[in-house]
Amino acid sequence: MSETIILIFSAIIALGIFLSFLRMLLGPTASDRAVAVDTITTTVVALLVLLGFVFKRYVYLDVSLVYSVLAFVGLVALARFLEKGI
Amino acid sequence: MIIVVSLLIILMLISAIAALIFKDLISAVIAACMVSLIASILFYFLHAPDVAMAEASIGAALVTVIFIIAIRRTKRHEE
Repeated sequence: MSETIILIFSAIIALGIFLSFLRMLLGPTASDRAVAVDTITTTVVALLVLLGFVFKRYVYLDVSLVYSVLAFVGLVALARFLEKGI
Repeated sequence: MIIVVSLLIILMLISAIAALIFKDLISAVIAACMVSLIASILFYFLHAPDVAMAEASIGAALVTVIFIIAIRRTKRHEE
């Protein structure tokens, strides 16, 4: 039963990544692409936590923590550039 | 699990080609950020969480910020 639930969660996360990736490719402006990459980052953090549960090694959760914090820094720099600041 | 890895590799290849094609350099930087993000996930799948952490910190955050500062000093659109 646990295998089925993990498979369903992986399929939903993969669908979310794929749709956001389409927006990243097709987006007319740079702001659309930035928001799409931010959405992909959030979804990928969910995927990493799920994989840390699958692999049964809870040290792997640190990776998702560092990942989310540093992606936030990159997105803040990008947003400040788009507002003509930096 | 091999299906997820293959899908991620295909997405990584498509975003690398997109980083070459985009004329708006900010969009190209975002696509390159996407490439290193997916590379980080692939390192994670290979059971190397420390390498994945270094790739996420350097590739996804630091290189993006440095490129954005460089584009700020120069022009945004490629001729």
